[in-house]
Amino acid sequence: MAKKGLASVVVVSNAFVGLGKAQARSLGHPTLPLAVIAHPFGSRKREELKTVASQCVSQIITLVGLP
Amino acid sequence: MSALPLNAASLVEAPEDLDELIEFFHLRRWSDGLPIVPPTRERVQRMLTGSRRQAHEVVARVAPGFGEATVERIAINAVMAGCRVDHLPVLIAATEAISDKSFNLQGIQATTNPVAVWLIINGPLALQLEVNSGMNCLGQGSVANATLGRALRLIMQNIGGALPGDMDRATQGQPGKFSFCCAENEAQSPWLPLQVDRGFAPTQSTVTVVGAAGTHNMNSHAKDADDLIRVVADTMAFPTSNDYWISGEPWIVIGPEHAQILHAAGLTKAEVKQRLWQASGLSAKRMAKVEFQRTHTARCEELGAIDLDSSLPISSHADGVGIVVAGGPGTHSVYVPSFGDTRAVTRLIES
Repeated sequence: MAKKGLASVVVVSNAFVGLGKAQARSLGHPTLPLAVIAHPFGSRKREELKTVASQCVSQIITLVGLP
Repeated sequence: MSALPLNAASLVEAPEDLDELIEFFHLRRWSDGLPIVPPTRERVQRMLTGSRRQAHEVVARVAPGFGEATVERIAINAVMAGCRVDHLPVLIAATEAISDKSFNLQGIQATTNPVAVWLIINGPLALQLEVNSGMNCLGQGSVANATLGRALRLIMQNIGGALPGDMDRATQGQPGKFSFCCAENEAQSPWLPLQVDRGFAPTQSTVTVVGAAGTHNMNSHAKDADDLIRVVADTMAFPTSNDYWISGEPWIVIGPEHAQILHAAGLTKAEVKQRLWQASGLSAKRMAKVEFQRTHTARCEELGAIDLDSSLPISSHADGVGIVVAGGPGTHSVYVPSFGDTRAVTRLIES
């Protein structure tokens, strides 16, 4: 998506930030923004996920520079 | 003097003392933790004589770092792993195979799952290179089995960039990530060899790569094919397997004695696959609730509506169960569950 010029953000849990950054570098997008959420993610309950999601959306909006 | 290509490997000044040199490689994370053979210019040049390909030809770009696997870089890692010159074409073919999209190397390298790349060698070259297909073929003791698997791991780490704890995110990993390589025991198999199943001639040599999530011994003294199939299928069906929730491609290493029992009952390899596939359905209620939900999402197109009373097939079709005959005397076969989101790839080894 970033290669096509579309605003792009990668959502990643904090245990995988290193992987996300390394992958972005390898793919030629070292400045690709990462929205970071707390790990672990898979075992959270639905209500907790809603909170995580709403925080994440705020991060994404900031990272893509939306007003 | 002509300029070197941009993708030529760099020459690095390294200590002459062997102990210091090994430490030098460890510190730079160029090793798998074991001592390496120093990849001097002379050794790499000698290794390159094992292939007709040009040193700077790009064989593949290896995920997740997408480093260029040139023939020269493959040769360097082959030297480091202790490979012989005639091993190089196997590693070139294996590097091509792991880079095929259907293998999903990106997922395999970066996952938290314990996935090793299992190399299965078929054809006349397996005998020529003395790749063990018999007793202890998945264990220690054979130069080819030990070094080919190790070299591919070094290629995946040093060219692909999947360093443990960095881009390799395995929660525990598994011993097969040091080396996982064998040949098929074609001489003692009652069926056609794997490479023929996969569209090659018996006279051609191939390497097949499998995204393997471990090995599980299946010791059964069953003398009856039905009984044997029942216990093997029962072993395949466990609720934490990736194969069930995503429709995978599990493998069975059938020991020659078990293969003879199945063959004596008149079963072809395809029939054994069919029987195992049918008998290895997993009761959906054995899964954790969240895994059932994931299965429901991932396989809804394939399976339609499923509920807790459903029996889940291990793969989308019977041919998804891989079979290879290997090992020596004994009542053992080995179950090799797969990473799930991966398909085995076979490539011709250039002679």
